[in-house]
Amino acid sequence: MDTQSLTLALGDATHAGRTFDVMPVAGDEPVLQVTVSGAEETPVYITVTDTQILCLAYLFDTQELNPERLHELHENMLRISVPMPLSALGKTGDHYVVYGALSPTSGTAEIMQELVTLAENAIDLLQTFEDYLA
Amino acid sequence: MRTVLKKILTAMRGGVNELGEAVVDGQGNRILEQELRDAEQELKQAKQELAALMAESASLARQIRVEQDSASKREQDASKALAAGQEELAREVAERIVGHERRAGELTQTRELLQQRISGLKERVQRAEKQLADYRRELQVVKTNERVLRTTAQIDTNINSNQSSLSTAKETLERIRDRQAREEDRQIASASLEKELTGADLDEKLKAAGIDSEQDAVNDVLARLNGNQAQ
Repeated sequence: MDTQSLTLALGDATHAGRTFDVMPVAGDEPVLQVTVSGAEETPVYITVTDTQILCLAYLFDTQELNPERLHELHENMLRISVPMPLSALGKTGDHYVVYGALSPTSGTAEIMQELVTLAENAIDLLQTFEDYLA
Repeated sequence: MRTVLKKILTAMRGGVNELGEAVVDGQGNRILEQELRDAEQELKQAKQELAALMAESASLARQIRVEQDSASKREQDASKALAAGQEELAREVAERIVGHERRAGELTQTRELLQQRISGLKERVQRAEKQLADYRRELQVVKTNERVLRTTAQIDTNINSNQSSLSTAKETLERIRDRQAREEDRQIASASLEKELTGADLDEKLKAAGIDSEQDAVNDVLARLNGNQAQ
């Protein structure tokens, strides 16, 4: 599965009543921005490597957080990461992200499932951790 | 692996990678890849050597068996010669037996040394395989890390130039709440539309005004029945 075939596959697919709006992100790396219907606020970014299909959605940046409650937030993020379906929490640069990694041999159905779950999880997480914003 | 993970963490904490620079630089990556190739090469050589030694050992085992078989066959010959009173001949056969046994002994010794080298080599192959798996895992971590950094840097610059900036969490939350409110409104609207279409809303209004056609019908029937009885 590469980004090109993903673009084609997601373009007119539906999964669990959702549709997908796919847009390539210009640059050297093959990156797609996928907007899931009903969860448009949290686009999911996909990149495909030799070893995995990486999907991630942005939550918030370090500077948006209340520094005094950072420790508590981290603790809660670690705890919630385990039971959350198909996604884990992480940080890249200053961005806190929710992400899921799939095997490169995954089919379209698995990828769509991941995208829908990730976008919905991102919304739930944002609303859950809203109190930690500065 | 530990060193690679530590390097990544140190670089991250130092904020070196804000622009998506490679943590373990290209040079480090090439060194890892070279180490991987070296380990692969060593493994290939060790396996070839192992195969050759094992073939040699099998061949020695065969030679040993031949010598042993010959010795036991000659022993029977010697017994027969002795039984026939042919002392001289028996001695000659016995000399042959000694020769076979000596060669069998020498070959066995060579084979034992060979077996030792084989088991040493097998250990080396196992070690190389483990190391190879370690290198592959390390390289995967390094490469994935670089990919993630480059990808997020790309998203940042692109979204930055397209829409003033990546929206803040607060803006996103605002939009989520707006959509959720819109969805709720839509649900309420569609529920009331459904009532209108089925006439349920009118029935409710009539009932509120004390006009209940269902109740009236029941009363009519009761009145009729009462009238019948009175007659």
